[in-house]
Amino acid sequence: MEKERVIVAERRAGAALPACLFAWLVPGAGHLYLGRVGKGLVFLGCIGALFVLGVAMDAGLQMHLGFDDPLAFLRSLAQMALGAPYFLARAMGFEAGRVTSVTYEYGNTFTEVGGLLNILVILDAYDVAVGRK
Amino acid sequence: MIGSHLLALLVFSALASVVFATLLREDQKNRVRFALMTFGAFVLSAIVVGWLMFPFPD
Repeated sequence: MEKERVIVAERRAGAALPACLFAWLVPGAGHLYLGRVGKGLVFLGCIGALFVLGVAMDAGLQMHLGFDDPLAFLRSLAQMALGAPYFLARAMGFEAGRVTSVTYEYGNTFTEVGGLLNILVILDAYDVAVGRK
Repeated sequence: MIGSHLLALLVFSALASVVFATLLREDQKNRVRFALMTFGAFVLSAIVVGWLMFPFPD
């Protein structure tokens, strides 16, 4: 019995890294990988919708690394937490956004909050993987 | 795409509330209740802050 428990704990610990990686790459994918399909689909739908709506509202997706503008750096980190969709959208030419658009700041907020929520989702995937949830 | 301030607020609040409820509550009934409360808190606080900011347009 004790041996089985150790094996299960080792498997869970082994699943934590890929679960977190998948959760970062695609919102909800970590939970799908861990068999929490319902939760995974909710995260994929909601965070995906926040990102897509944000880009549709002309959000800027510029990558700002460095501390010369700390707020822009934090903003970039938040957006990068969305993983593959962020880099895909940049590669598809949505990087600049449209500063003159009325909804530019709304778009920024949608994409940044989507990324911040995805950080919470990654931490939740870790908790599920190690058996805390 | 979403040109209205109120619509943007409602959509944002709904999506964020669902994620918070899914993260923080385990059973369905509590999730729905928590999501509704969070949604209400988002919308109400935005309207209250909007009213408080009304005398200071700049």
